[in-house]
Amino acid sequence: MVKVDGYEVPEGLYYSKEFAWIKIEGEKVRMGITDYAQKQLREIVYAELPEAGAEVKQNEPYGTVESVKAVSDLVAAVSGTVEEVNSEVQSRPELLNEDPFDRGWLIIVKPSNLQVELPNLMDFNQAVEWHKNQVQTK
Amino acid sequence: MAKRIIVIGANAAGVEAASAARKKDRTAEIILITQEKTAGYSRCGLPFVIGGQISSFNDLIVYPPAYFQMLKLTLKNETKVTAINTKEKTVTTADKAGSTETLPYDSLVIATGADAFMPPIKGREKQGILSLRSLEDGEKILQAVQNGAKSAVIMGAGLIGLETGVALIERGLKVTVVEMLPQILPQMLDADMAKLVQEHLQEKGMCILTSKTVEEFLGNDKVTAIMAGGERMEADLFISAFGVRANTKLAVDAGIPLGETRAIKTNARMETDVKDVYAIGDCAESLNLITHKPTCAQLGTIAVRQGKVAGKNAAGDYSLFTGVLASAVTRLFDVEAGVTGLTEAAAARAKIEVVTGVISSKTKADYYPTAKPIKVKLVVEKESQRIVGAQIIGGEEVTQRINALSFAIQKEMTVRELAKADTAYAPPLCETWEPMVLAAEMVLMKLR
Repeated sequence: MVKVDGYEVPEGLYYSKEFAWIKIEGEKVRMGITDYAQKQLREIVYAELPEAGAEVKQNEPYGTVESVKAVSDLVAAVSGTVEEVNSEVQSRPELLNEDPFDRGWLIIVKPSNLQVELPNLMDFNQAVEWHKNQVQTK
Repeated sequence: MAKRIIVIGANAAGVEAASAARKKDRTAEIILITQEKTAGYSRCGLPFVIGGQISSFNDLIVYPPAYFQMLKLTLKNETKVTAINTKEKTVTTADKAGSTETLPYDSLVIATGADAFMPPIKGREKQGILSLRSLEDGEKILQAVQNGAKSAVIMGAGLIGLETGVALIERGLKVTVVEMLPQILPQMLDADMAKLVQEHLQEKGMCILTSKTVEEFLGNDKVTAIMAGGERMEADLFISAFGVRANTKLAVDAGIPLGETRAIKTNARMETDVKDVYAIGDCAESLNLITHKPTCAQLGTIAVRQGKVAGKNAAGDYSLFTGVLASAVTRLFDVEAGVTGLTEAAAARAKIEVVTGVISSKTKADYYPTAKPIKVKLVVEKESQRIVGAQIIGGEEVTQRINALSFAIQKEMTVRELAKADTAYAPPLCETWEPMVLAAEMVLMKLR
């Protein structure tokens, strides 16, 4: 795991420019939001997530996350069918601030087109560069 | 539902409005336009970078570019709005390069803030008169300090002047504050309370000259001295802190009416007299909760609350701004000073007759080491016996007491009720008899 100006970027994940991470777990893909995202939002008070069985599409919103001041779309990093939704985050949205990469996972998806869509995401090294860029434009 | 919301101004009020609008409308196009290079930073924090408590001006950025990206707010910085056309519902802008654009809006939020005011003093066009309003102003002042400025004259003893004065003393400069009125913090405190703050500042080395009007700026192209109250004062740094004036040019040119205070007139929804055009923050006028008279209270707390209300309304929701008490606090060296509601002087101006009660006490049990002094002054309206104002000066723990009294005033608590109020204490935290309750008893003694 690397820290870019305080923002955590773990290895073993793929990242999207819409502040999301995915972890490939065999046939499934776990999705969440990054440390960078939760730090922009601050104290998250609400997460609206889809139900199991819903379809998600790469680069399209599948839910929302809300903090005291901000509200942000959750944008799918890959397309597929939602298999599992993190009910713990629904009842304790602050998990997204506390542990965005692990206990704060949002949905588990059966991807429909991973081979084609994966190159659209950033790997660890690219993500570190991206975070460095974000930090510089402050 | 509005399709495009334009916010002119991207600091405390503007960003709050844009965020609130986004919360209501997830798909509307929301554009913030600011003349400044940096958006979403804390002006109130500037003195603390100058003084060194905060290490960099960058740390004052509350809303970095990623925030705008995440909320899908379009930020146009270094862009000037040159005109508003309320009939066509458009704004015209000019960017750094000079290219102009005309943008139609469904709702418009004017958050143009206020500018540092310069009275018509002879020589004011000379170079080298700094003020502290923007990030760039802060950088200029700090640069001057780093370039070796050893002394400063600050003109105006309001919050900005004094906080800047404290910051410069912390950087090792010799500071003289010149104030036209007979007391410091004339808007915030009555003379008896202001005196305590003045004494503390003077003990800390600040030279304070009251009842001295700045008459002239001296020097060739650059200011090298001022004439104030017949006295010539030289310094390396000259900072004007005469107050700020609502930035209303765009509104005036567009025919959007101003109110009595010469700030933009608004209704309870922060809407101006022109439908779908809102005004918020330092440029907007609203009503004082006690006198019900128009007021333009230029405070961060008011900017964000008005911003939230206007943002919701601009996006098609319903929200009211309930009025201003202008509660304010500051810390100057080791003294905290706060006010809520009317000072005795403000009450007199409003022809409201009051009785006051003052108590001096300590912030911990008297016998507890590190207890600091605290003085509470209550201002109570004679007929209803309602609390209409309070000022507190203390070594610590002033803010939450001001907030408690602010709530009391908003709930129209009488001084009798305050004298009976339940409070908490423990020796390391408070005196057994809460000073606010004792101050209420002081008032009751006068009403006997």
